[in-house]
Amino acid sequence: MLIRLFYRYRDLAPQLVPLDYTNHPDVKLPYELIGSMPELKDNPFRQRIAEVFSEDGEGNMTLDDFLDMFSVLSEMAPRDLKAYYAFKIYDFNNDDFICKSDLQKTLNKLTRNELTEDEVRMVCEKVMDEADLDNDGRLSLEDFQHMIVRAPDFLR
Amino acid sequence: MSSYSNGGFFNAAYHDSETLEIDRRSSSKTHHTNPYAREDPAWRGERAETHHSSTGWSSSDDVGRAPWGSRQDESWRGRESIPMGVLSTHQGSPSWQHDHNHSTFQIAPDSQYDRTMSIRLPSSGNMTMRWRGLAMRRMSMFPTAGPDQLAFAEDAIRDEMENEEQKLVEELVALSTRDRIRAIQDLPMSFEEKKHIRNQVLAFKSSKQSHQFTCFADCSENVSLSLRRCGYNINSARQTLELWQGIMKEIGGKFGTSVLSYFLFLKWLLMFNIFSFLVNFGLITIPVLVYDHSPNKPPNVNFRGLEILTGAGYFNYTVMYYGGYSNETLEGLVDYNMQLSYFFTIAVYMVLCGIALIFSMASSFRKNYVLADSSSNSAWQLLCSWNFSITNEKAVTQRMNNLCVQLKESLSEKAQGELLTRSEKLKHFGIYLGSWLLSTSLAVGCGASVYYLCQFEQQEVTDADHWSLTQEAETLLVPFMVSLINLVVPLFYSLFNKFEHYSSQRRQIYALVLRNVLLKVSILGVLCYYWMNVVAEKFSCWESMVGQALYRLVIVDFFFLMLGSFFGEFLSNVIGTRFLPRLGVPEFDVARNVLELIYAQTLAWIGIYFSPLLPTIQILKFFIMFYLKKVSLTQNCQPPRRSGRAAQMQTIFIGLLFFPFFVGALSMVAYTAWRLTPSERCGPFRGLNSTFSVVGVWIDDLEEIPGSDWVVWIYQNVIRSEIFYFLITLIILVFIYIFWQVTKGRKDLIVLLRQQIVNEGKDKSFLLEKLQNLQKANPNKKPKPKNHKKHTKRRSDDQSSGGQSTSNAMVQALLARQRLEDDEERHSAGGLPVPSDISTSSVLMQAMLARQRADKQDEDLCQMPNKHQTSSSALAMAMQARGRAEDHGRDEYYGAEDFSENSFNRSSTLMQSMQARQRAEENAAYDVDDPSSSVSSVMMQVMQARQRAEEQDRIQVPAAPQNPAPSGSSSLIQAMLARQQAQNEYDDGY
Repeated sequence: MLIRLFYRYRDLAPQLVPLDYTNHPDVKLPYELIGSMPELKDNPFRQRIAEVFSEDGEGNMTLDDFLDMFSVLSEMAPRDLKAYYAFKIYDFNNDDFICKSDLQKTLNKLTRNELTEDEVRMVCEKVMDEADLDNDGRLSLEDFQHMIVRAPDFLR
Repeated sequence: MSSYSNGGFFNAAYHDSETLEIDRRSSSKTHHTNPYAREDPAWRGERAETHHSSTGWSSSDDVGRAPWGSRQDESWRGRESIPMGVLSTHQGSPSWQHDHNHSTFQIAPDSQYDRTMSIRLPSSGNMTMRWRGLAMRRMSMFPTAGPDQLAFAEDAIRDEMENEEQKLVEELVALSTRDRIRAIQDLPMSFEEKKHIRNQVLAFKSSKQSHQFTCFADCSENVSLSLRRCGYNINSARQTLELWQGIMKEIGGKFGTSVLSYFLFLKWLLMFNIFSFLVNFGLITIPVLVYDHSPNKPPNVNFRGLEILTGAGYFNYTVMYYGGYSNETLEGLVDYNMQLSYFFTIAVYMVLCGIALIFSMASSFRKNYVLADSSSNSAWQLLCSWNFSITNEKAVTQRMNNLCVQLKESLSEKAQGELLTRSEKLKHFGIYLGSWLLSTSLAVGCGASVYYLCQFEQQEVTDADHWSLTQEAETLLVPFMVSLINLVVPLFYSLFNKFEHYSSQRRQIYALVLRNVLLKVSILGVLCYYWMNVVAEKFSCWESMVGQALYRLVIVDFFFLMLGSFFGEFLSNVIGTRFLPRLGVPEFDVARNVLELIYAQTLAWIGIYFSPLLPTIQILKFFIMFYLKKVSLTQNCQPPRRSGRAAQMQTIFIGLLFFPFFVGALSMVAYTAWRLTPSERCGPFRGLNSTFSVVGVWIDDLEEIPGSDWVVWIYQNVIRSEIFYFLITLIILVFIYIFWQVTKGRKDLIVLLRQQIVNEGKDKSFLLEKLQNLQKANPNKKPKPKNHKKHTKRRSDDQSSGGQSTSNAMVQALLARQRLEDDEERHSAGGLPVPSDISTSSVLMQAMLARQRADKQDEDLCQMPNKHQTSSSALAMAMQARGRAEDHGRDEYYGAEDFSENSFNRSSTLMQSMQARQRAEENAAYDVDDPSSSVSSVMMQVMQARQRAEEQDRIQVPAAPQNPAPSGSSSLIQAMLARQQAQNEYDDGY
């Protein structure tokens, strides 16, 4: 499994990645290559995913980051872990809360800007209304997890 | 106290509000069970750095000080007197945060320490959550750190990480191997970090075990390791071997979960049938085949080919049907009673099916319905519905469109719902009524037509051994009509559906499903009635006839399903793409397809008694269906445009499978077994009054065998006694009632808890608002919003004026930290850390920090004009610290076993906090009259006393490492006495 993933990683840029990893060479693949993988290519969140899992926060991945990403995206990963990373993916401005602007970004990514501004605002308000338990105007990780507990088909 | 000034901030109504009070108190009781919630404010506080200032917190003081004026002496003992006690959770963060701002680098690890302590968990099960929160905090620290702050932040973070890591490692060591592996897997860290943690844990473990090394332990370790590896391998092999795993993934990736749920359901049913085939074949058929494998058919019956469709003729004399089994006791190595085996196999199979259905239905219901909240639909749609495993571009665009459409619809529904006029509502109601009437009458009409068709067939078919070809073909008429009805009428139903305006899409689906169920139930009911009442009277071997009829239904249904997916999906795809692009590519209708499956499965269940090998046909059918549907889906269909929540739909399907269909089939079989007379010429039960009487015969036989009295007794007193069933029913009813009440109570509790969360939120927003108001009112108190920048400025201030006591306080904090670390080391060296000790020390730390901050604020006070607020904030800090200390003390009290030690710990923490409070009051008192010089002198004294006490403590600790808590508390008592003395002196002097 690991070896397969390594070859996947290497295939993205054979000229960059050496075959011999015994002395831990410092190799990073740029986001352009990661984002063009078939698993991510059509995902509207591909940039966010790459950013969240990469160590430098810009989508450039080392082999370890790459392995991390696949271990979380695999179906064997625990649900809690997935929820945690999903939260981070939705948290566009990295402030540990999903606030309204994050929701708007999510919505725009999911609907490709087809909703009008008014509709986006209304949907965001509704979501906040439903999911924000402590009424602080933003979703914390607990709010998110609480919602996910009640959504059994989340990330199945 | 003259400092009792509520100014404009004290909101009596808010403070005295009974509900809020209760809420707060109860939440303070429970917050330790939810460690994550406790931890959250800490890093929230960090984020909310802009609110941080010494004045900032005074808003809460004004609220909190009210009860203090009257009972400042003994109030620290009672929890009731601190209504804002729980605020400590909210404001636990400032205690360390303050240090960030004021102190130099030496203090920094200290503050980190406090943080790690304050978020210590009662149980190790939640450690991942804590770690997760920490990791999150770590992430959040980087963007906030300014350039001048970066080095410091990194330093602090490294320290924090190390501490945290050690804690984690210790917790992990305490777990069992399996739990540990799972916990490590669950950590939200990178691969490298996980490896590091794991190595540390292993090293820790081996170092601990090295001195008690035995050969046995080593061996068992090795064996368990290899067993675990073996288990992993088997697990992964099982996953790769699992039926259709790759196909399932592909479907899920291309069409989403709702379509996938159809295939999962199909697979589940297939497993059901394989099980029933194994049971029937193994327990009923194999003995017969082994005993006598030549079918005793008349010589003129041959295999003609049409039998495959009709199931009549040749098949009639094989083990396919009831008639093919004998009533003999097969004599081989052991006697095998055919009657008993037939009866018990069918009965046990039905019971097992029922249990499996009930269990899967209940668990699915619990998971998908009770937890799922229907009100949070759009939040679900936005944040949880995205399937990250979708890899197909078309599917992605499709899903995006779906989401867009659904969101728009839900918005417009909301807007429309209120605009409907009365006439429109009436019109809608009329349409509902009409379509319900129409669909119900259609279902009834179909049932009636099937009945007349059956009667017609009954006139044609004779009870002969041998049918002509036309006669045999005529038997296909009924199944053909039934399948045709099943194919065509649902189309009408979906047509009705287009005219109706349902307020929600879910209701629409439910209505459709309900109508289809009604149709199928009415048809099956009519067929069953016909078999029970007409066929059973007329034919000599009527069970086989019913078996044949069921066989034909199953087979013809199969053909219709194939045709349906060909014409329904392929043709409409061709039409939609080539001729009428307006219609578009057909959608995969999950509800209709699943109902077809349910119908097919019901036929198999009814047939299990009449044709024990019917599951074979069913297995073949489902197996072919799977590939057929898969091909049809990928070639012809697009994902459904409007899909409900897949998990909920699945629950409904399992529920439907159970309630009308399985229960119906079960009652049909049971009626047959109890009431109807088995045919006299064929089958295992020939000559008996009813199938069930075979048990009576068996019991009669048993009575002659000694040693089996208990079976006879059970039969007489349990199975056949009405009282037993009466009692059972009564007990079950009582249980149902109890559980119902419990559920009701929990519902109420949920409502209350929700209300409480809302109240907490109100609390928070209220305080924040106050804070902001204060900030606006005192802009000079806080020149720069960034605390990092303020940090340097503050430091220079401190150095310029009140340098001495600042450094004193710092020294104290350092000492306290060192002592804590000593404690830690001792604990870790001597074994596992005792949780109560650690929480005590964390409380200690918090109290200290609160005190320290109180000092700082006191100093600020000397410099700044605005005294009231700072002093009162110091007071409040102390009070919070005390509240928190008490909380911890109580937690310990309940959580630990060693009461004597705990009482020591508790008293020490309480004293600490009391000191903090006292001094804060003291300061407040000074503050009124502003004698800055005397303040500092008394302060110095106090500090020195404290320092001395702590030094003593340190000396004592190495001397008596076994019993640190009492010695610590004694030195603390000393310190407290010194402090009181100082205060007295001051009072006298004044």
